[in-house]
Amino acid sequence: MGRLSVAFRAFFAALFSQEAARRLGAALSGQLPPTSRERPIRQAQPAAPVRSDALSLLSALQREARFVDFVQESLESATDQQIGAVVRDVHRDCAVVLERMFAIRPLLGEEEGAEVEVSAGFDAARFRLTGNVAGEPPYRGKLGHHGWQATQHELPSWSGSRANAMVICPAEVEL
Amino acid sequence: MAPQYIIGIDLGTTNSVVAYAPLEVEQPQIELLPMPQLVAAGTVESRTALPSFLYIGTEEETASLQLPWSASSRRVVGEYARRQSAEVPHRTVVGAKSWLANSRVDRHQPILPWDAPDDVEKITPVDASREYLEHLVAAWNHAMPDAPLGDQKVVLTVPASFDAAARDLTREAALASGFPADFVLLEEPQAAVYAWLVQTGDRWRRLLNVGDALLVCDVGGGTTDLTLVSVAEENGELILQRKAVGNHLLVGGDNMDLALAHYVAGLFAEQGLELDAWQSVSLWHRCRQAKETLLGPGGPDTHTISIAGRGSKLIGGSEKAEVRREAAAGLLIDGFFPECRVSDRPTRRRTSGFQEIGLPFESDTGITRHVAAFLSAHGESSNQSVRPTHVLFNGGVFKTDALRQRLLDVIGGWFEGDGPTVLAGQHDLENAVARGAAYYGFAKHQGGVRIRGGTAQAYYVGIETAGLAVPGAQRPLKALCVVPIGMEEGSEVDVPSGEIGLVVGEAAQFRFFRSAVRKQDCPGDLVARWEEDEIVETDPLETTLDRVAGIDEPCVPVYFQSRITELGVFELWCVHAASGNRWKLEFSVRQED
Repeated sequence: MGRLSVAFRAFFAALFSQEAARRLGAALSGQLPPTSRERPIRQAQPAAPVRSDALSLLSALQREARFVDFVQESLESATDQQIGAVVRDVHRDCAVVLERMFAIRPLLGEEEGAEVEVSAGFDAARFRLTGNVAGEPPYRGKLGHHGWQATQHELPSWSGSRANAMVICPAEVEL
Repeated sequence: MAPQYIIGIDLGTTNSVVAYAPLEVEQPQIELLPMPQLVAAGTVESRTALPSFLYIGTEEETASLQLPWSASSRRVVGEYARRQSAEVPHRTVVGAKSWLANSRVDRHQPILPWDAPDDVEKITPVDASREYLEHLVAAWNHAMPDAPLGDQKVVLTVPASFDAAARDLTREAALASGFPADFVLLEEPQAAVYAWLVQTGDRWRRLLNVGDALLVCDVGGGTTDLTLVSVAEENGELILQRKAVGNHLLVGGDNMDLALAHYVAGLFAEQGLELDAWQSVSLWHRCRQAKETLLGPGGPDTHTISIAGRGSKLIGGSEKAEVRREAAAGLLIDGFFPECRVSDRPTRRRTSGFQEIGLPFESDTGITRHVAAFLSAHGESSNQSVRPTHVLFNGGVFKTDALRQRLLDVIGGWFEGDGPTVLAGQHDLENAVARGAAYYGFAKHQGGVRIRGGTAQAYYVGIETAGLAVPGAQRPLKALCVVPIGMEEGSEVDVPSGEIGLVVGEAAQFRFFRSAVRKQDCPGDLVARWEEDEIVETDPLETTLDRVAGIDEPCVPVYFQSRITELGVFELWCVHAASGNRWKLEFSVRQED
């Protein structure tokens, strides 16, 4: 780039942009701006799943247990007896799906109400202490809730298009 | 590459299961293979059971029918196909395995889905079976890329009642789907016994005694398979021998659920509700649960079955019906396991002349009567039945206690003294066959208890007898025994017979028969008369004699030579004694019109 051209560009840049004026001033006073670091080249990421696991789960619960139908329906005018009859089926079918995908088990094997010990360095994700929390661990206390954990994570994979990723269940048309 | 795994595959009428174990270990650790499959359009999930259903999709659906190992295909196997079978029946192949055993149709013709309209692409029963097996093979290869199935030891189970032709077709489908050439066929009830053996360990020798007779009662979704195994002693060791197998009975658990569903549909009809196809299927599944609940231990007096509306309204559109336990018990226990005497026989609906083609479903659903007929057919003498000392249950139906108990009570009532003992254990009723098959393969490779048996059926070639031709009357047909019951694997027999002449350059066809009951016949015996069910015709065998150097005669005298290979494959050869030339007879499953 010719010197004249640089001088002109610096002149107009400083005239119209405060930021350019600041950087030019710094450069003229000998403070070189840090050379812009090379941005790391973005790794070719594996294609992100086009549908989240949450939607896949919702879709499975609707497909096998009509969970979305149930939650979306108004209970205003339904009697408890009508609701009860439906809940039995929804409940059982939801349980089948959750068992297959997550195999949910109690986090602690002890009976609720039993005395348990929480050792030092416990993980707050596994234990939530309530009541009179004082002193140093190990703590002893009564098990209020045994907790739950998924012992597996087997969600369906989905091969549909991005445009349909939010579809929970297709519309049905009988021919 | 040396095989690393033994793989046991149960290709079921309604579900297929793959079990496997590493080979080079002391004790086999048998695992089930999770198989990715479409469960909805565009959605793949892994399950340990692959429903044996095939859905043939439309062009538009193709894009959403992809599997982890393949681009899109219009043919879908598994859970999604099972779901579709209810609502799109004309595009779904169901029960391909039963079609494979149906010698009244040509199993190399595209006839499935049965009754489908003309614009639906059809498939042959053999190809449908191949599709199921290909899915299993692909699921294995996907999970074990370093140990492809084609390099492993594989055992595939077939019903004990499958005849040589049906076994041959199964083998054809398996080889086409990438099975190793040395894979082995094993009878399903035997596999169930192996599953019991692997679970019981060495204790089995204390639970069974010499002279015991074990009845394996395998009631699957669509079929019932009966087998007798006896306990004998050899060199001071207990050995197991498969003594007899029953006929191919097309009645199973699905019939029971359907029977209950028909009854409940009647209850809904009384309330003025006619169910559509979708609701009927949903009812069918509800009835399976109702059966297990109502007939389980301490079952409730009534069970509510509610059928949701078709649309998105669940509560508003639901209808319910109360099913009483006595009603369900009467329908299922008395309908499928009726009280009967050991002298009772299944009733047959006689059809005159015209018989509808299609699957030959049993006209008598009374499984106890089929058991009575089976035990009577294999007694020491004609008026004495085999007395089973032990019973081994297999199949999901027997998850229901009341059904097990009824069958035990009925059999117990046939004989003086104590009834049969159940071979107990934590039975995995739905996966036992695949597990047992894997164990059998392991025992074959590494050593372990094996059940002996040889062929379950005797085979006969039809010979037209010479004599004066009588106009209008067929020449009398005699059955020449070529394979006796119990012929061991890896053995060969020359069949003594009068000379049979084959014409060079022409196709020779022989009528072919089988019998699961005639233990007395030896190779070379000519049977002139038999009861209707004693000897049954199956697919014909044929061969074409090429012109061979050294044989100048236009008509070559031959004798039959039968072989059962080490892999359990039946082969029948025509041998020309003078030159030593021989020609293999092949099943001709193509039907003559």
